[in-house]
Amino acid sequence: MEFKTVLSFCPYCGCGCGLLLEVLDGKIVGTLPSKTSPVNQGKLCVKGWNVHEFVISPNRLIKPMVRKNDTLENSSWDEALHLSATRLKEIKEKYGPDSIGVLTSAKCTNEENYLLQKFTRAAIGTNNIDHCARL
Amino acid sequence: MTFLKKLLEFSGLHPDRVRTRWVSSAEAVEFVHEVSEFVEDIKKLGPNPLKAKAKEAA
Amino acid sequence: MSTKIKETVQALLIEGKIKGFLGLREANGNIMPHLFCDPKELDSLSLGDWKKSGDTRYPLNQMMIQLAIAYPNETFAILVRGCDERGLRELFKWKQLAEDKVILIGIGCPDELARACECEKPFPDSLLEGPQGTRVENEKVASIDKMGLEERFTFWEAEFNRCIKCLGCRNICPMCFCNECTLEEANLIDTGAVPPANPTFHLVRAIHMVGRCIDCGLCEEACPADIPLRTLYKKVGEIISKEFGYKTGFSVDEKSPFNIIEVK
Repeated sequence: MEFKTVLSFCPYCGCGCGLLLEVLDGKIVGTLPSKTSPVNQGKLCVKGWNVHEFVISPNRLIKPMVRKNDTLENSSWDEALHLSATRLKEIKEKYGPDSIGVLTSAKCTNEENYLLQKFTRAAIGTNNIDHCARL
Repeated sequence: MTFLKKLLEFSGLHPDRVRTRWVSSAEAVEFVHEVSEFVEDIKKLGPNPLKAKAKEAA
Repeated sequence: MSTKIKETVQALLIEGKIKGFLGLREANGNIMPHLFCDPKELDSLSLGDWKKSGDTRYPLNQMMIQLAIAYPNETFAILVRGCDERGLRELFKWKQLAEDKVILIGIGCPDELARACECEKPFPDSLLEGPQGTRVENEKVASIDKMGLEERFTFWEAEFNRCIKCLGCRNICPMCFCNECTLEEANLIDTGAVPPANPTFHLVRAIHMVGRCIDCGLCEEACPADIPLRTLYKKVGEIISKEFGYKTGFSVDEKSPFNIIEVK
């Protein structure tokens, strides 16, 4: 039996409010503002208060999906990655690297976002990368 | 109602702007009388500050 | 300072009388809620005094409810101040927690904190450590009572206008346990508008605090707009006390005049 709170930071805007994730037996069950965080001093906005929701959301994708004949179908990592690589290469050759844009997310880790911008700028060769928190 | 009136008063709204009366659906005359009297009493209290706020916003 | 509490909890854990102690832990300069299941963990025990007394209080009662739902047959101990004990008394009456499954480990609040809270009773009856403070007079409510009707309206309108509808007041409230909340009912409170209906939104919450608000002040501490919520809810408590003779959290068996539910 374990009920602990884990100090983390809000992944949404650039403020970086400190929050405590309530973890009961390994599952996130709620969020509390951190009172010892100098940024937010025990307060959170509506997005910060609901940070735990997307982690445990039933709407989260857990398997790769591929669009076949206008419907999204469950796929495998191999098939999805192969299709993405092939099609991106084709589009890059035919229309140029700037025809491709990459949209990433504040809900990704810094490391994932670093990889994505490296991929966009170095592998694809375009500056067209953006991210929801820039709004 | 007691509670509601006191809460409204604390928030800056006159408690007499809220009233409860029980009138049976068979007592049409009494109903008209109650409503007319209430309208007159409220008019004496002057415009509701919330209405002025709404006009300002519009 | 926390030797008596630490010793008591340690004994309870070793003797197997409780499965865990819901309290506060200090780690890397941060204070956060924690369930202590192993007596060895008690070295990091904190009483919620970081830079000032009581400045890192959290809604432990709320976490206790979650624990009780997951482990209804286990007994736990919980750290309580005067307000927390008031909350637990109400939660027992509202059948959200079982009295025989919760052991209260009480600390009293020092004068400085009692004055900041204008607390009616800054210590729990189940007091283990800390002072048995004295009641502090209510200045904040009195200062609004002195205002005329128009002045009050202007005052509250300005305060409520800053609300960003984060629902922090509701989220952190240790007494808010409703599965469906009126404030999130789209038919009653418009979505997509900030500030929310002024003053309706806050008056609705105030009405729901009748017989529930234990005056812990966590709502005001959680408000990013610094709205004097506590003053509003203190007035609610005062009205209920004067008109109905009911003081929330002071009686073990007397139910709030608004709680008529009988669960068989």
